[in-house]
Amino acid sequence: MSGLRSFVARRLLLGVAQTAAVVLLVFALTEMLPGDAAVALAGDQPDPARIEAIREALRLDRPAVERLADWAAGLPHGDFGTSLASGRPVARYIADGFGPTLLLASLTVALLVPLGFGLGVLAARHEGRLLDRLVSSVTLAVYAVPEFALGVLLVTVLALRLGWLPPTAVGYGTDLLGHPAALVLPVLVLLARPVCSLVRLVRAGMIDALASPYVAQARRYGVSGARVRYTHALPNALAPAAQQLARTIDWLLCGVIVVEALYVIPGLGTVLLNAVAERDVPVVQGLAVVFGVLTVVLNLAADLVARRLAPRSGVAA
Amino acid sequence: MTRLRTGRFALGVAVVAVPLLLALLGPLFAGEPGPRGASFTLGDGHWLGTDFVGRDVWQQVLHGGRPVVLTALAATALAYLVALPLALLSALTHRRWLEELLMRPLDVLLAVPSLLLILLAATVFSPGAVGLALLVAAVNVPDAARLVRAAATEAAARPAVEALRMQGETWWRIAVGYVGRSMLRTLAADAGTRLTGVLYLVATAAFLGVGVAPDAADWAVMVDRNRTGLFVQPWAVVVPALLIVGLTMGANLLFDAALERTGKETRP
Amino acid sequence: MNHENGTTAGPVAEIRDLRVEIDGRAVVDGVSLAALPGRVTALVGASGSGKTTTGLALLGEYPPGARVTGDVRLSADGPAGYIPQHPATVLNPARRVRALLTDIARTQVGHLPPGRRRSAARERVLRALAEAQLPDAAPLLRRYPHQLSGGQQQRVVLAQALLLGARVIVADEPTTGQDALTKSRIVDQLAAVAARGIAVVLLSHDPDVVRALADEVIVMRSGRVVESGPAPDAWRAVQAGRTREPLVDQPPFPQADGSTGTVRPVLRIRDLTARHHDGARGTTVVLRAPRLNLHPGESLAVVGRSGSGKTTLARCLAGLHRDQDGRILLDGTPLPPSLRNRGRAHLAAVQYVFQDARAAFDEHRPVLHQVARTAVRLRGTDADTATREALTTLASLGLPEDLVRRHPGRCSGGELQRAALARALLARPRVLICDEITSGLDPITRRGILDLLTSLVRDRGGLSLVLITHDLDTAARADRIAVLDGGELVEHGPAERVLTTPQHPFTVSLVEAAARLTARTGT
Repeated sequence: MSGLRSFVARRLLLGVAQTAAVVLLVFALTEMLPGDAAVALAGDQPDPARIEAIREALRLDRPAVERLADWAAGLPHGDFGTSLASGRPVARYIADGFGPTLLLASLTVALLVPLGFGLGVLAARHEGRLLDRLVSSVTLAVYAVPEFALGVLLVTVLALRLGWLPPTAVGYGTDLLGHPAALVLPVLVLLARPVCSLVRLVRAGMIDALASPYVAQARRYGVSGARVRYTHALPNALAPAAQQLARTIDWLLCGVIVVEALYVIPGLGTVLLNAVAERDVPVVQGLAVVFGVLTVVLNLAADLVARRLAPRSGVAA
Repeated sequence: MTRLRTGRFALGVAVVAVPLLLALLGPLFAGEPGPRGASFTLGDGHWLGTDFVGRDVWQQVLHGGRPVVLTALAATALAYLVALPLALLSALTHRRWLEELLMRPLDVLLAVPSLLLILLAATVFSPGAVGLALLVAAVNVPDAARLVRAAATEAAARPAVEALRMQGETWWRIAVGYVGRSMLRTLAADAGTRLTGVLYLVATAAFLGVGVAPDAADWAVMVDRNRTGLFVQPWAVVVPALLIVGLTMGANLLFDAALERTGKETRP
Repeated sequence: MNHENGTTAGPVAEIRDLRVEIDGRAVVDGVSLAALPGRVTALVGASGSGKTTTGLALLGEYPPGARVTGDVRLSADGPAGYIPQHPATVLNPARRVRALLTDIARTQVGHLPPGRRRSAARERVLRALAEAQLPDAAPLLRRYPHQLSGGQQQRVVLAQALLLGARVIVADEPTTGQDALTKSRIVDQLAAVAARGIAVVLLSHDPDVVRALADEVIVMRSGRVVESGPAPDAWRAVQAGRTREPLVDQPPFPQADGSTGTVRPVLRIRDLTARHHDGARGTTVVLRAPRLNLHPGESLAVVGRSGSGKTTLARCLAGLHRDQDGRILLDGTPLPPSLRNRGRAHLAAVQYVFQDARAAFDEHRPVLHQVARTAVRLRGTDADTATREALTTLASLGLPEDLVRRHPGRCSGGELQRAALARALLARPRVLICDEITSGLDPITRRGILDLLTSLVRDRGGLSLVLITHDLDTAARADRIAVLDGGELVEHGPAERVLTTPQHPFTVSLVEAAARLTARTGT
């Protein structure tokens, strides 16, 4: 047990380091702006008033260390600074975009887990037969396709040709739940990559586990087929899959940004893209910190779950 | 199973052939750009119609694959250029502090989502094609280094390496002649998956407007910019989107089949 | 074991005229076997003799793609139990011991009303554990398999079989690679199983265990039975050499000439301590050897159980274990602790042969080239001379030229071990360290390698041998024996003295365990 505790401690420490690194990295960006940051950010028409406003907003007159300390101290209280473009607090941007993104992400994860594990186990049970070949080939093919390409093709066919679904969520604002049809395409596109990766992992893990000596022994001793599959083989197949689930959070994040842009959903991804386009540094920083910390926490959780499922293998910390 | 693999290999080749040939040879056949016409029209001498600023879509398609493919290849090569020596050095050194110094920062970086990092950098630098390749390479270094190092550490811990040391062999012969050689297959496998991952990232970044001019001849940019005319002129979006799908899908099928094949051949 | 009750009852499992073919080649041909309750039937043979295929046939399992003819019949109800060579492989790493056992108990309590099944299953689990000599096992139930010792793992696997109510248990090489104490424990355990009236089918090439346990012996070679019958008769046949193999005794190494006291030692160990890095927990001391000498032409056996530090000692001498204190003196001059700091002469003087010969060769280069490199690197000869020398040495170890021009993948384990010896010998070493070099090999190959070592010590004047082994029979061939237990050097002295009048309690128990094994001879 002390092994587990020291693992958790080490993993937590790494998580803290990663969070600190994200914050530092994000802050370092403004420092990397060539020349006078305020002039650089003011864009093509350097209006002196605007430059002054930016200088004020970013407090560029104070030393970097002091600004970092101030900014970092504000983060835990939800104080992310103010937008350069509108002067509104960054926290408001985040609060506005949070709803749609959370909805998208939780819907996707809620479908991802049963779909991924279900299809993976199904393919493993029919290893080498038609069903398995179909599932493996499709997952392998779709796995690498960028969301935007898949997305526009689905829109063209399902929305424009067949007219089954609305092509975008334009006009629905943040009230997406009221228009579930508008969510079908985004969630479908968002699911595509993570599901494929999860199915492949679960399938491979299950096939390995089902071929292992301990499963042979359980079968030999008359343990029922379903029991062998779900209580003996599956936990061993889950450990690598749980870790992959964490890695797919990275993809989900990329996916959210793309999908929101594609289907015009006013979530965090859209906020981020707009801020990037306007070079609204405080907003980008705030969102990056939120996304970064979220990834760190989810990775941490997944590693702990994987460790619980495969108590022997030292999960890379 | 062998038949299935051969089938997959053939399918991969077939799917990837069209976009790859277009990307590599397209610019040679594109010829001079004609005069601009009206936006989003069909017919009128334009085989695939015109795009959002009235350019010929077919000509844009011929030009638009090369940046995607070349940037991806360059980024993959760059990522290994950094990751390989880093990983080999840290795997073969017996100084723990050096190993920690080389690998720990990468562990920390692994947690940052790759597209986020690229967007962050794009806010500040407005990178061009070279910048995009550098960025994509940079976000791939931690993962590549970790993988290469795991393979190298495993190979370096084998009795064969100790036996070579016992014989007084030189560092280079051990590092390159044995450890490097033993890693080749893992490396080839990783390069395949990494290249598909990089293709994905390069295309997605271009779609989001990172590293490309807003009117660039680039399949991903075409998909983005011509979306507004999807109702009137779908070809300007569908053709480049299909080409990107074919490129990534075919590459993945191909690498997977090739990997299983070599895995089978080299097994005793 | 139980001659009095075994003879009357009919067999609980029977194989008649079994033939198993893979790709048209018979791996088992015309084998018959009857497992009687309470009796131990030993299937004896080298690897590849078909004994495992025969044993697994009792479980109704055959290699994939096999064509099977003949009769396999279990008369008792319920399947046969199986104890594999490595018990850990059949224990699911992600499940606790309780779950592993309850799953099997659950199949047994289906007839009870649902409310009582749980407690009945638990009761059966505890009883089976007690029967498998794991009393008070309640805390054990909460552990994962990797948190158990090897012995506990084996008992849990046995408890599974007992829980099943198996009337016949197949034990596959249960003692291979184990030291005398562990062997003796396993023998006791299997004897206890047979005493319960269970038929035991023992697959083994370990002469001690077969002698100690078997009531019936079936000797197999190339898929056929070459000798079978009640143990004493079959035994006599084996001893008389009619079956030529595989259970044979071993002659000693030649003695070092002269009294060891007068000659200057070639290698001296002074206050050696070695540590292991243990992840987050820091370092642990794994070896303490205050004083040990090795004289020219002398062979020293280092014995101990696994984890006793004997391999660490060997690796310290060879410079493969860096984290060490104390001094190792070669002809009076200190050797650097790490190989990386040893010069050519030092490297050449102390050579090391690895346990796993296959892993110690580069699979991408021909064996000959790798062997010859020793002479090039350590003695500065040119490539041609080195190759010629390598060929001569390899030939003298029984490896012809066409064989050694191959890649390691196309040589057998025994051949590679000889090649590894040649590679070390090409350095013209003063000290040759052999780390369990015979433990992965079958008895015939092992015998060949040990004979080779014997002639090396005899023919190469002044070559000293350090032989790391868990096997007292092998150790008995050496001039002197050093005994390690838990990282401490507990005893060392002339081989005969240590084996006949051991002084340290651990050595006593080790020697006694070995003696008990020999004494159990089924006569």
